Amino acid sequence: MHEISIAESIVQIAETKAREQKALLVQVIKLRLGKFTTIVPEALQFAFEICREGTLSHAARLDIERIPMIVRCAVCDSSTEPMCGVCLICSECGFPLEIISGEELEIEYIEVDSEQEVSQCNQHQNEFQSRPMY
Amino acid sequence: MQPAPERISVQANVLNANQQTAIANRELFAREGLIVMNLMSAPGAGKTTLLEGTLKAFRGQMRVAVIEGDLQTDLDAQRIKALGVRAHQITTGTVCHLDARMIARALEAFPVSGLDLLIIENVGNLICPASFDLGESLRVVVCSVAEGPEKPKKYPVMFNKANVVLVNKIDLADASGVDLTELERNIREVNPTATIFSLSARTGEGLDAWTNWIQNAVQTRVQTALASA
Repeated sequence: MHEISIAESIVQIAETKAREQKALLVQVIKLRLGKFTTIVPEALQFAFEICREGTLSHAARLDIERIPMIVRCAVCDSSTEPMCGVCLICSECGFPLEIISGEELEIEYIEVDSEQEVSQCNQHQNEFQSRPMY
Repeated sequence: MQPAPERISVQANVLNANQQTAIANRELFAREGLIVMNLMSAPGAGKTTLLEGTLKAFRGQMRVAVIEGDLQTDLDAQRIKALGVRAHQITTGTVCHLDARMIARALEAFPVSGLDLLIIENVGNLICPASFDLGESLRVVVCSVAEGPEKPKKYPVMFNKANVVLVNKIDLADASGVDLTELERNIREVNPTATIFSLSARTGEGLDAWTNWIQNAVQTRVQTALASA
């Protein structure tokens, strides 16, 4: 269940970025998640709901964009999704394939409410500051 | 009316914090001039038995230490210490993998100066450890014959990230009805460039090729370091 560690990192990165921008509430966290990772989206959503408590992301939605796995053969100069599961040998020429996408695990952006738009957020800020950081 | 939320670009890798610590670990290992092996497998593939056989072969040849990762107990560290090799146990509690910070903390209590090789035996798990760089120079995955020939296809990320795959328990191939050629082909499919050794840690068959390979790697590292000094 390493999704907990991943979710903790996501919340922490969003928190740091939101505070840098003096935002007080995170509405959306947009994540790009490659298919060639060991992260299960459903498990990550579940872990995120636990880890966001008491932070500026406490009501945030985690939008997960799945990025397909694309492999490239340098000999045939062609890019495709891998054949038969994850076969990294070119079906045309037998050359090892290079992974060009599918390993992404990155926060693309967050959407936030800024100070003047949210009145009750100071309360959440205080709650967060009293908690230990991860 | 509620104003539209403001979008802030982040473009950050989620594992960046782990990666930064892994880079610091790697720099420390490079300064000490040692090779660091991250040894990974499913539970029960025979990592610790393999390690015992490997360490016996290194006796008097190399200065080696071991960091053991398990959820509970220091049983594995005790097995290593029984061979006269320095060992440090990390117990992760419920965490299913080692991460770079756990290694950095372990290094505070477990100095690695003067070593040729540090072996980190990760928590037995073919999924989670694949995502967490520890700062190692070599990723070694152990896959036992008795697990069946499809393991590499089922856990492609772990096998894809390996520099070396050790096929262990080949003495059980017949009893398990496993075709070693098929298993090797499945490893190649997900990792065409991995170095593969087939061996049995228990009988010692094939172990020499693996231990010689590591000794050569360490020797090459020493020569490279001397040449650049």
